[in-house]
Amino acid sequence: MLKKSFLFLALVQISWAEKHIDFNTDIRPILSDKCFFCHGPDSHEREADLRLDIPDGEDGAFADLGGYSAIVPGKPEDSEFILRINDKDDPMPPEKSHKSLKPEEIKLLTRWIAEGAKYSAPWAYTPPVKNPVPKIDQTDWPENWIDRFVFHKLGTEGLKPSPDADPVTLIRRLYFDLTGLPPTPEDVDAFVSGKQSLEKVVDELLASPHFGERMAMYWLDLVRYADTVGYHGDQDHNISPYRDYVIRAFNKNLPFDQFTREQLAGDLLKNPGKWQKVASGYNRLLQTTHEGGLQKKEYDAIYAADRVRNVSAVWMGATVGCAQCHDHKYDPYTIKDHYAMAAFFSDLHDTGFNGNSLPTSRPPEMKFYSDEEETKLAHIEKEMGALIGGEEVLNTLKKDAEIAKLKANKKRKPADDKKLAQLEKSFEQIVSSSKKDKWVKLLTEKNAIEKGGRWTMITSAKPHREMRILPRGNWQDDSGPVVTAAVPEFLGKVSTAKHATRLDLANWLTDPKNGSGGLTARVFANRFWYLYFGSGISRSLSDFGGQGEPPSNGPLLDNLAVAFYESGWDVKALVRLLVTSRAYRQSSLCPPELMERDPYNQLLARQSRYRLPAEVIRDNALALSQLLVDDQGGSSAKPYQPTGYYRHLNFPTRKYKHHTDPKQWRRGVYVHWQRQFLHPMLKAMDAPSREECTAERPRSNTPTAALVLLNDPTFIEAARALAYRIMKEGDAATDSRLDFAYQLVLSRLPDAEERAVMTGLLKATYEDSQKNPKFAETVLDVGQAPRPNDVDATELASWTAVARALLNLNETITRN
Amino acid sequence: MIDQTRRTFLGQTGLSLGSAALASLLSDQATAAPLNSLPHFAAKAKRVIFLCMSGGPSHLETFDYKPQLDKLNGKAMPTSFTEGQPIAQLQGQKLKVQGHLTKFNKYGQSGQVISDFLPHTAKLADDIAIVRSMVTEQINHDPAHTFMNTGTAISGRPSMGSWITYGLGSETKDLPGFVVLTSVGGRNPQPIASRQWSAGFLPSRHQGVEFNSAGDPVHYVSNPKGISPAQQSALVEAINKLDRKRNKLVVNPEIDTRIAAYEMAFRMQTSVPGLMDISKEPQRVLDLYGAKPGDGSYASNCLLARRLAERGVRFIQLYHRGWDHHGGLEKYMGICCGLTDRPTWALLTDLKERGMLEDTLVIWGGEFGRTPMFQGKGGAGRDHHIKGFSMWMAGGGVKGGTSYGETDELGYNAVKDVAHVRDLHATMLHQLGLHHDRFSYPFQGLDMKLTGVEKAKVIKGILS
Repeated sequence: MLKKSFLFLALVQISWAEKHIDFNTDIRPILSDKCFFCHGPDSHEREADLRLDIPDGEDGAFADLGGYSAIVPGKPEDSEFILRINDKDDPMPPEKSHKSLKPEEIKLLTRWIAEGAKYSAPWAYTPPVKNPVPKIDQTDWPENWIDRFVFHKLGTEGLKPSPDADPVTLIRRLYFDLTGLPPTPEDVDAFVSGKQSLEKVVDELLASPHFGERMAMYWLDLVRYADTVGYHGDQDHNISPYRDYVIRAFNKNLPFDQFTREQLAGDLLKNPGKWQKVASGYNRLLQTTHEGGLQKKEYDAIYAADRVRNVSAVWMGATVGCAQCHDHKYDPYTIKDHYAMAAFFSDLHDTGFNGNSLPTSRPPEMKFYSDEEETKLAHIEKEMGALIGGEEVLNTLKKDAEIAKLKANKKRKPADDKKLAQLEKSFEQIVSSSKKDKWVKLLTEKNAIEKGGRWTMITSAKPHREMRILPRGNWQDDSGPVVTAAVPEFLGKVSTAKHATRLDLANWLTDPKNGSGGLTARVFANRFWYLYFGSGISRSLSDFGGQGEPPSNGPLLDNLAVAFYESGWDVKALVRLLVTSRAYRQSSLCPPELMERDPYNQLLARQSRYRLPAEVIRDNALALSQLLVDDQGGSSAKPYQPTGYYRHLNFPTRKYKHHTDPKQWRRGVYVHWQRQFLHPMLKAMDAPSREECTAERPRSNTPTAALVLLNDPTFIEAARALAYRIMKEGDAATDSRLDFAYQLVLSRLPDAEERAVMTGLLKATYEDSQKNPKFAETVLDVGQAPRPNDVDATELASWTAVARALLNLNETITRN
Repeated sequence: MIDQTRRTFLGQTGLSLGSAALASLLSDQATAAPLNSLPHFAAKAKRVIFLCMSGGPSHLETFDYKPQLDKLNGKAMPTSFTEGQPIAQLQGQKLKVQGHLTKFNKYGQSGQVISDFLPHTAKLADDIAIVRSMVTEQINHDPAHTFMNTGTAISGRPSMGSWITYGLGSETKDLPGFVVLTSVGGRNPQPIASRQWSAGFLPSRHQGVEFNSAGDPVHYVSNPKGISPAQQSALVEAINKLDRKRNKLVVNPEIDTRIAAYEMAFRMQTSVPGLMDISKEPQRVLDLYGAKPGDGSYASNCLLARRLAERGVRFIQLYHRGWDHHGGLEKYMGICCGLTDRPTWALLTDLKERGMLEDTLVIWGGEFGRTPMFQGKGGAGRDHHIKGFSMWMAGGGVKGGTSYGETDELGYNAVKDVAHVRDLHATMLHQLGLHHDRFSYPFQGLDMKLTGVEKAKVIKGILS
């Protein structure tokens, strides 16, 4: 271990010495981390009127400080900067910063100055340009141009790609990555036998409605979608149609620029349709409070900052939120930029305290019907029209409703009775007794659909509130200047004569020519890369700034970004490009030497392997046991949950009721997202509370997660249903049942050792159950799936143990 | 062994710790080990018990006696105090002074002033250091709790318990390093979000684990219905055997971690219920606290806190959720103090008897204090107040019998030796051997700290 590490260090130093110095990759990270805090963009903290983030200008690094300069290009010996960092008694950075420069960093900085101190604009703010695809010798490896970049990079590092993964691993990888569901044994067979090509599989998976669900899991993390308000009483709010919009948008392959416009400004589009209004719910996803005693003005400031944090994190990969109290420490965002961005959203008027209802009322909201419900409603209304003549329907419905209301009133006055008689008479004139039955039937259907309709929060523009810069972020300080909506100044401008709108912002974000569309494309190209390769080309998925990690393969990232917007922001095309590359197909096995050399897999000498996301772990178990209900969309689902988990909620107090109908077995993406008390299973598997933007979930591996997989009733029930499948579909012999089980769960056969362990477990459980027959009876009662009565209870309980073991295996919950 | 690997790896490749990915890659041992360079200096305290009086107890009925307040009782509150100040439920209302709703006395050698609501705490006058000059920045419960726990009102930051277990690791292999217990009683309990014990951007194994007094003490820690211990044991053994076997083929350090996690999970299945069962404590001890096994009371939680401390849990946080006294303050203070005063005294007494108080830092307080002004939601009460309130600390190197800081003559503004929440954090870290300014974690390009970006100070005046 020691020797290898030593070699690695040595190797790095040699390569530094030989390599050309690139400001963005080699120098900026050092300066940013160690120097910019006092000598960077923040004018308030700046010491000695010197900034090291830019070369020119009065404060720039090359400026004449009175006969000397901080940096003299080509002359480290004359550069004050070099003198100060080498000062033995009082070296820069000062001790109080708790930062220090390593000797190799000082060497590198010195060399950089000696070679001319060339600055380059921050990579993340320089629009991507198409780079020539590298020529490589080994022409039988690449499948597409991505591979040429990867192979070339590996070559410069003296590495080679890994061999392709075996077809079983590959098809499982594709299914989990693109749909979040496992392949069936038939799917696996077709691919392994060569009947189904990789391209064909990819096309089918991209066309699957489950593709949208898988993508939504990621998108909903970014935009912090949840079913509850988040603060204080954490009441439910109406928003689930927005989730369905996201799924639908990915399935329909809505161009990403349009997807952006609809969410930020669906209400401002010309004649917005139903889905565009639903999409505008994006602006309402933030955490809100409904605590008595909230100060409206304070929360207006909190909400404004929240929206800036999210929109900049999601679309710009930027931390503009840091400029809420002061200019950004490391990036050129000013406090003015922060409040000017907030002003795009100042046409939203959030409500203050309005009681503790459940769900809470957060106007504006609209009633939402799914496309199917809408079709049905239209059909019913047409039939009603046919029954009584089209134009009468509305009137008649009104009368009908009034009659019902009056009849329900037990304290009717004589005047009411008279009115009732009149109404009934005029009603009967239109709906004669012969038509009455049909009318009532239609009306009942109509009412049922309308009752099932969901409310959802939308955006509707009001006059803009005044937006001031809040000095130090203090909402009580009205001394700051008024600002109007604008994008960060150093990045350009939106051109409009009037108060710029959210639509202008959305257009600017996705316009590669006149806006920051190129930068946006790069942020997302990097995130899509992360989804299919396990980490970003730049590992900083949400900090494309001075402190973010530069991309390990900049030209590749840039070309992906350009390809993305040049395709018309075609998401599926980008995904297809990534997953049909040779790089994607590599084995994820990682010899220790490679692990040590490239722990984050930045060079792509292999694929990555990691635990499946929380929702997919649930979906996988439900799919294998055939409990999964794969309906699309709808209100959120409530799986089994420990009793009393919501006991800390109040205003009002909450009692969780799990669904007793098939909604119980819906996919994880539909599970009720309670911000303050996220379902313990999701939480244990690192699903975020969605209070803030999450671009990358941690991948933990904890005892808490082990307890979930071992003991959560969802997994016990799934194991029991899976056990029943094994017994029914796997013939009678233990061996053939184990074959079936392994094929189903892991897409492979067990070997002798695995067979022996599983058989031993089966036997031990069987013998223990026999000692106490009640054991079996009880375990089979977990969950609400109907319990089969055509198999022996003790035997089923024993196979349930085998199924539990399978669902707990590392291999089962790992994307390899 | 895994621990060893991680340290070797970090120590010798010169990679800096902290990037989430690396932490995740190597995070993998079930128990957290301390970071290499920590503690920064010798620690006075090994662990913390934080007694959070959720809802915000009135400093004016506990520790902060102001004769002038009684004199002005019922009169209009001088606007010089309140103009331009943040205000919660009293927005737009006439503000008048509310005198003390109880009496105060001097106690102990130190003569610390403590109210009649706290006769048992009064016996601890020479053990505790009272800080009467606390200030915070958030006036509503939820953000104020978040501020108290994480140093900021922005969600998604780690709570202090997570910071501390991240820095110092845990001293137990069978239990989480950061445990939360809750109880109720008093006015309509304030909701409390699991965000309050979240690990934020720190590796998730540092998040607080809530132990429940009813149902499963920890979620899913009991065997499923109908699964005997023998069956569960056979299952876990089979899973680990199969994972181990697989790992010979694929060589993945994550699998080693996973095996360790399953081993610890299985140990927790017995250790947690064992820990939570206080029925085997001697009657004398149960009586000391006033605890009844399984009642979920603050008294039982105090006893559990001592048991957790004994077993090496690093950060133990108790919430009592009834202190939001907008009205009926006398009545509800009676209830809350009745439920918490004696157990708190018992906890300190018990720790002292066992020689554990000297290395256990105990902190008592709410997320804010209450207004000198009257609020009348069902009898006299007080609104939320953030410009001056009281907390106390004991044990772990704190100088008992200390009175620190003062508010003005009406108990409105902290005016002498003002102690901000971040100063409290800095002090707590200091007692644990951590320098607040050097204890950071890189996130979104910043070196994040519990004490945030503003300058924080250790409250030296209360330390021995």
